[in-house]
Amino acid sequence: MSETPAITTRDLAKTYKDVRALDGVSLNLAPNRIYGLLGRNGAGKTTLMSILTGQNFADRGTAEIFGHTPFEHDPTLARLCFIRESQKYPDDFKVRQAFSAAAIFFENWNEQLAQDLVKAFNLPLNRRIKKLSRGQLSAVGVIIGMASRAEITFFDEPYLGLDAVARQIFYDRLVEDFAQHPRTIVLSSHLIDEVANLLEHVIVIDQGRIIIDSEAEDLQGAAVTVTGSAQKVEEFIAGYPVIHRDALGSLASISIRARLTAEQRARAQILGLELSPVSLQQLVVRSTLSSQSDREQTTERQAIK
Amino acid sequence: MSRIMKVARMQLINKWTFIGIPLIVLAGSFLFTLAVWYLVRRGGGEGTLYGGGAQAPMWYFLALGIQALTLTFPFAMAMSVSRRSFYLGTLALFGGCAMVLAVFYYLMGLLEEATGGWGVDGRFFALQWIAENNWLTQILFYFMLTVLLFMVGFYAATLYMRWRTTGVLVFTIGLGLALLGTVALITLTESWPEVGRWLAGWTAAGVTALGAGLAVLLAGSSYLTLRKATI
Repeated sequence: MSETPAITTRDLAKTYKDVRALDGVSLNLAPNRIYGLLGRNGAGKTTLMSILTGQNFADRGTAEIFGHTPFEHDPTLARLCFIRESQKYPDDFKVRQAFSAAAIFFENWNEQLAQDLVKAFNLPLNRRIKKLSRGQLSAVGVIIGMASRAEITFFDEPYLGLDAVARQIFYDRLVEDFAQHPRTIVLSSHLIDEVANLLEHVIVIDQGRIIIDSEAEDLQGAAVTVTGSAQKVEEFIAGYPVIHRDALGSLASISIRARLTAEQRARAQILGLELSPVSLQQLVVRSTLSSQSDREQTTERQAIK
Repeated sequence: MSRIMKVARMQLINKWTFIGIPLIVLAGSFLFTLAVWYLVRRGGGEGTLYGGGAQAPMWYFLALGIQALTLTFPFAMAMSVSRRSFYLGTLALFGGCAMVLAVFYYLMGLLEEATGGWGVDGRFFALQWIAENNWLTQILFYFMLTVLLFMVGFYAATLYMRWRTTGVLVFTIGLGLALLGTVALITLTESWPEVGRWLAGWTAAGVTALGAGLAVLLAGSSYLTLRKATI
């Protein structure tokens, strides 16, 4: 495919005083797919998105949207929508007025979709935004993001304060609308299992570095937990990268990055070992933890030297 | 429609902010002044009565300048507007409002003179120092004053957006030191009488030109500061 990527970054870096928010981030996001941008709080997700939308500046590296630098470039910015998790609204705005404003700026704005979502989320249109609850505030952001139908839409932890029902409405509506109007969606989240089924591609960021950048399909079954007698488990997993170890007496439960063949599965059964898949959330958590301990060990080693 | 015009439209979504509240402020201060004048006349007060309430809506513009930035700017960014479009759209709208206000003041000034100072020989809009000039100077003076106050608020807010509290502190302390230095210089050289004469020599046209220059300077600085501001 010679299609222009929706988003390209090269070696993006950004430091806030003594915190490295982004550190050598290089990514390529194809158009019309749903991406998950996963990571802990403070991992660099919001910084990355605000640089991609021209709202913040990188210290180093480049970021391009459809081949253009977004900073101060109205034609490119017009193709984007990014509502922050802590989005501010004009002080005296009512919910209805925020949507009127969005309708002015987003060319593909769909009023019908916005109205449907307002009903689904039970949002009071005539209430002032500063009087909304946290969940209602999130709903305003979600509705602007969805109804804008921008070519690239960023959702920054869009579910804060939303109850489980409202979150499900958001996920369902997103998938439904995406099917009819494909566009590039970047969903930043730390509720990984909840969004796992939506995502086509997963990017995990930790302390400003990209630690996973894979198709969601490839990640499914990319890791397995082997449980059984410690000795046999060790024997079975020899040679595979370990992402997590748990031990209880003579029992061990070890997660490895591996795609097991049918033969290996049969062998595990003979050895009396239990195999269980590692969920995306577990995989991300374990990968994040092990990348952090790697870094700590490196720092310690450097300190010893 | 260009994105600059869209920004102006967005600022006008809440009509109260730009049109309703300034009108209430003006009407309120005018009616209060009239009431006081009436009481003064009933109490036997003599001579021409002056009221400074006409400047009230202009101070509201200072607050608007701050608000336009601190709250509307982050929202405009979420609406995928470039800083340049936000800046130009907002300034165009304020310029328009200031012009309407300026023409309104001029017309009210004419009415004030025609009615003999609202029947009580009061001066609210047509303060003599300004009203004795030609119509263009009068309108430009009111326009300049409104825009200047707006720009002061807007510039202070851009400093805050770009450098947060540090920026505003450094700027105000710097400004304070500069003013103190000037006063000290005048006092130590014992030149207050000359300064007084110099100040008295300013015409409305001169003040308008000076204020306009200052407003342009603030507008330019605001843009340069805003270009690199983050939210």
